[in-house]
Amino acid sequence: MVQLTNVVKTFQRGAEVITVLDGLNVTIAEGSFEALMGPSGSGKSTLLNLVAGLDRATSGVVNVAGQDLTTMTDGDLAAFRARYIGFIFQSYNLMPVLTALENVELPLLLTKIPSADRKKRAATALRVVGLEDRANHYPRMLSGGQEQRVAIARAIVNDPKIIVADEPTGDLDRKSADQILALLEKLNKDFKKTIVMVTHDPEAASHARVTHHLNKGAFQ
Amino acid sequence: MNLVSLAVRNVGRNRFRTSLTVLGVAVAVVAFVLLRTVISSMEVAVTHAAHDRIGIRHKVSFIMQLPRRYVDTVRQTPGVHSATWANWFGGKDPRNPREFFPTMAVDPPSFLDVYDEIAVSPADRERWFADRQGALVGDQLARLLHLRVGDTVTLAGTIYPGNWVFHVSGIYTTTRRSMDRSEFLFHWDYLNNAIPERRRDQVGWIIARVDNPRQATGVSAGIDRAFDVQDIQTLSMSERSMNLSFMGMMSGVLAAINVISGIILLILLMLFGNTMSMGVRERTQEYGVLRALGFLPKHIAGFILGEAAALGLTAGVLGLALSYPFVQYGLGRWLEENMGSMVPYFRIEVATAALALGFSLLLGVAAAVIPALRASRLTVTDALRRID
Ligand SMILES: Nc1ncnc2c1ncn2[C@@H]1O[C@H](COP(=O)(O)OP(=O)(O)O)[C@@H](O)[C@H]1O
Ligand SMILES: [Mg+2]
Repeated sequence: MVQLTNVVKTFQRGAEVITVLDGLNVTIAEGSFEALMGPSGSGKSTLLNLVAGLDRATSGVVNVAGQDLTTMTDGDLAAFRARYIGFIFQSYNLMPVLTALENVELPLLLTKIPSADRKKRAATALRVVGLEDRANHYPRMLSGGQEQRVAIARAIVNDPKIIVADEPTGDLDRKSADQILALLEKLNKDFKKTIVMVTHDPEAASHARVTHHLNKGAFQ
Repeated sequence: MNLVSLAVRNVGRNRFRTSLTVLGVAVAVVAFVLLRTVISSMEVAVTHAAHDRIGIRHKVSFIMQLPRRYVDTVRQTPGVHSATWANWFGGKDPRNPREFFPTMAVDPPSFLDVYDEIAVSPADRERWFADRQGALVGDQLARLLHLRVGDTVTLAGTIYPGNWVFHVSGIYTTTRRSMDRSEFLFHWDYLNNAIPERRRDQVGWIIARVDNPRQATGVSAGIDRAFDVQDIQTLSMSERSMNLSFMGMMSGVLAAINVISGIILLILLMLFGNTMSMGVRERTQEYGVLRALGFLPKHIAGFILGEAAALGLTAGVLGLALSYPFVQYGLGRWLEENMGSMVPYFRIEVATAALALGFSLLLGVAAAVIPALRASRLTVTDALRRID
């Protein structure tokens, strides 16, 4: 599902060139649930962004869902993200002016699905995360855990192949975090989603089938 | 929900800031509409000036008078259809000393003939013609002074001293905007017979209607030429040219108004620009999220411009909603009633309203162009990093 070959990622900061990922190789099988751990600044988010098609590798090949992301145009990458990737961020990132249902519906606005069907699909996704009774609530009326569950519903509404989650439990208390992790496991087991999750939390990583440790741009 | 409603909803995001901007813009729109209306109401005087009327006055100054017999000469000049005359009376109503209104001594039948836009009922007309002390009063003036047909009014003469008693014979309106609806017209004979012998048989000015409006200039020249050999020479000018020369005198004021209008538009642009760039900056992370979900730079630009358009439209509509009561019914009514001879028709023109709304919308969008370009050009990761 995900194959990275000799991936290098550098950033230019003024005159200085920082090498964040230094010739990385990794394969993630379809249907797997893998965690990415490592100290702060080790390049976890950078790696996740490459897999998700948010950013481009400086060199090497990034192949996701059978497609070579390194040769795509910006427009192709946007279409790729819309079709194959579901995002979960640490700080939920819901639109405050939209209700829970509308937030979930948001990715479907890029499709040709008619309005009534969009609503139905968004409602279904909310049911999967157990928030059908909060459909008309705005984000500010929800707890952090509930907001993150809405974000998960948004991530799965377009039925993506891969879900990428960057510290999805980082802002949550233990109980909410456990609910989110249980939900991710359910998506992996019952809905066959491939999940790549960055985390600091060993407890969170224990839910994954495989854990990669990143340090100074290389796997340990 | 759709892409447009998402953009529109962002307008109500920061209620306090949005309200201040909308209110500020609305006030600027009112000022803009007011200034534009001053100009358009002056232009109305020019555009609606009768094309077929010529004013004839003393060559030296309009305060000097012409002999009454000149009217007959004018009537005999080729191209002249009919002619009448008037004397500025300068009357004041002692009960309403602060109100200014034009009072003129005229020859009723020929005056109504030359000023055919005056609409008066046959009964009022007969009554006015028959009563030597009769007066015909514009409906706006009648409303201002609370005059009704049959009332007796005493005016104090400023040019012709004394107390002058009149009977209100009729009320007139107008069918075109070329005549002011706040004049007080009475019989020239009444005035002429009551003044000392040496002041008699003098007229303030002569007004002629020409057969063919296109020959107005030629006829004017012909009239002036006819009096060239006399001891008192005349200066003739079409009503339109007179109004134009008045506009010419006011050109400094008009230029100032245009500059101020321009400044107001600049203020609009800055108000919108400030609000939009603050809003866009605060929302950069959301644009990053949208991009991550697969939305394109053009969508982001569209959201921002759509939001700006909604803001501009809201502010423009509110500004117009405030302009009508303030400019048209408040100040406008007051101006018409008190300075009707200069601004006979102080109304917000549809073009002015459309211009104000258009500018509000356009400047709202224009102010958002740079923030929109900046936000849409950010890379996805840069936009998202604004959170951390
Ligand atoms: N856009 C960027 N420009 C410059 N440096 C960056 C950029 N993105 C990440 N970095 C740097 O790359 C390193 C790894 O960042 P990141 O992948 O966010 O680490 P992690 O998620 O593991 O904490 C850090 O030193 C960070 O400062
Ligand atoms: Mg990170």
